[in-house]
Amino acid sequence: MDTQQEPRKTFVVPIGPQHPALKEPGHFEITVDGEIVTAATVRLGYVHRGIEKGVEGQNWAQAMYMLERICGICSHVHATAYALGVEALAGVQVPPRAQAIRVLVAELERVHSHLLWLGVAAHEGGFDTLFMYSWRDRELIMDVLEGLTGNRVNYSCNVLGGVKFDVDQKQSDAIRSAIDFLEPRTHHYLKIVTTDETLIGRTRNVGTLTAEEAERLGAVGPTARASGVARDIRVDSPYAGYPSFPVKTITAAAGDLEAKFIVRLEELFESYRVIREILDNLPPGDLSVRVKPRLPAGETVSRVEAPRGELLYYLRSAGGPNPDRVKVRTPSLCNWGTVLATAAGHKLADVPMLIAGIDPCFSCNDRLVTIRRRGDAETWTWARLRQYGIEYYR
Amino acid sequence: MAAEKLIVAAETALKPFAVGAFTRTPVGVEAVVKREDLPAAVKALVDARWGYLSAITGLDHPWPKAAKPAPKPGETSAEPAEPAGPTEDRLEALYQFVNGPVVATLRVSVAYHDAAVPTICPVIPSATLYERELQEMFGIVVQGTPETSRLLLPDDWPDHVYPLRKAYKVSKA
Repeated sequence: MDTQQEPRKTFVVPIGPQHPALKEPGHFEITVDGEIVTAATVRLGYVHRGIEKGVEGQNWAQAMYMLERICGICSHVHATAYALGVEALAGVQVPPRAQAIRVLVAELERVHSHLLWLGVAAHEGGFDTLFMYSWRDRELIMDVLEGLTGNRVNYSCNVLGGVKFDVDQKQSDAIRSAIDFLEPRTHHYLKIVTTDETLIGRTRNVGTLTAEEAERLGAVGPTARASGVARDIRVDSPYAGYPSFPVKTITAAAGDLEAKFIVRLEELFESYRVIREILDNLPPGDLSVRVKPRLPAGETVSRVEAPRGELLYYLRSAGGPNPDRVKVRTPSLCNWGTVLATAAGHKLADVPMLIAGIDPCFSCNDRLVTIRRRGDAETWTWARLRQYGIEYYR
Repeated sequence: MAAEKLIVAAETALKPFAVGAFTRTPVGVEAVVKREDLPAAVKALVDARWGYLSAITGLDHPWPKAAKPAPKPGETSAEPAEPAGPTEDRLEALYQFVNGPVVATLRVSVAYHDAAVPTICPVIPSATLYERELQEMFGIVVQGTPETSRLLLPDDWPDHVYPLRKAYKVSKA
């Protein structure tokens, strides 16, 4: 530290790492010059569980259940990406009904994930009313997913070669009525995030990421799309049932936090439309085909659009009953870089919103924050940093 | 077809750097590149505005199989054919670029005793997280990568122990 030349400035504010709900708890070290952030670094891995290594000791079918547990919020996309890869290696054709049900669950998952994010982001901005309402509404989707799959999270809808369950009329009606309720609610939320003065004060022109920056930093998903970079694997490389049930890419040009709200909320309308379309036109037929326990030797890459962006799986089979290598690259890893890049020049008070902006499942519980000032350490909880941000803008 | 055009564009950009022929895969195209050519090959793709770097995947190819202590039964029965049949312990890094539906993979292979690749961060700054992961998990030294502190493994993880190498066995706790 160059305390001799500039005795008054550049403190390092460490944030994190404890976020128990999150698969990638990040520890951020944020360097501040007075109020302004000058640099940020990230340290990951606090819940690195060695799943890539772990699946090498399991058979192809077991591995899916472990991979599904990488994320509690978007478990279905992990199982889907893995199943698609295994099916490509095995050379089997999954029945269209199963592929449509995969998309149905994927879009329901996206709805719950985006509503969850809306609540979290609103909460970090001090707008707890919006948090309460959006999470209340999200419960409808959780109930629907539980009715459909038996679980609120880790739905375990996939099997290698198809899906586990069918959708009957009663479930179909339940989904429709949930969507019918949520659609006007989403319109209402979209109106709020674009008109509420206090929220706009925290989001408009904050954390702006230009399209060039987003491309350069390899941003994916809504983070990229909010900067006008039209990256959506459902459209770019349609998988599972998306060739039959296409979706439209939603983008916004502004690239700021407000644009991230708008993109995610507008994506919900696209999800509602596709969910209804699938329920109306569910193809008849079987739910699964058999996949032999030993896969031919080979490699494949499968990509799906998780709620947070592109999820990439690389699978390698050595011809045995176990995977030889499974590589998982989750979308949050791509998007951390955008937080680090955009944080510089912003106020410390904006940091909670910037981090929440990429939707890194930054949700519950207190997190430890330590403010270091020339040797003295003062410990802040996440709640105190959040409160600091809210007070700052009051 | 759009995918075919993208593959041809990737092949055109990578032509000067590819060792041997390109391999077509069901999802795109692969090229083996020499590690000294890696930054230039990556730059060629970036200059051609061909997609974006989606992942760097490490692979471990221990050799010979029989000399390894007790491989799990059935696990190493039928290895896929390796390019040019390595006769020593080798590590491989796959640089996976994606563009629309196409995945273009650059394969760089290095020996255990010389496990190093040049960084691509000057061309793609966001590769830093992927390079750090590769370094920690496989022990492939990424020469010149801007940040080398621990990213994923615990602070008290021993040095020179690389969990995704095949020789690392998971103990049943």
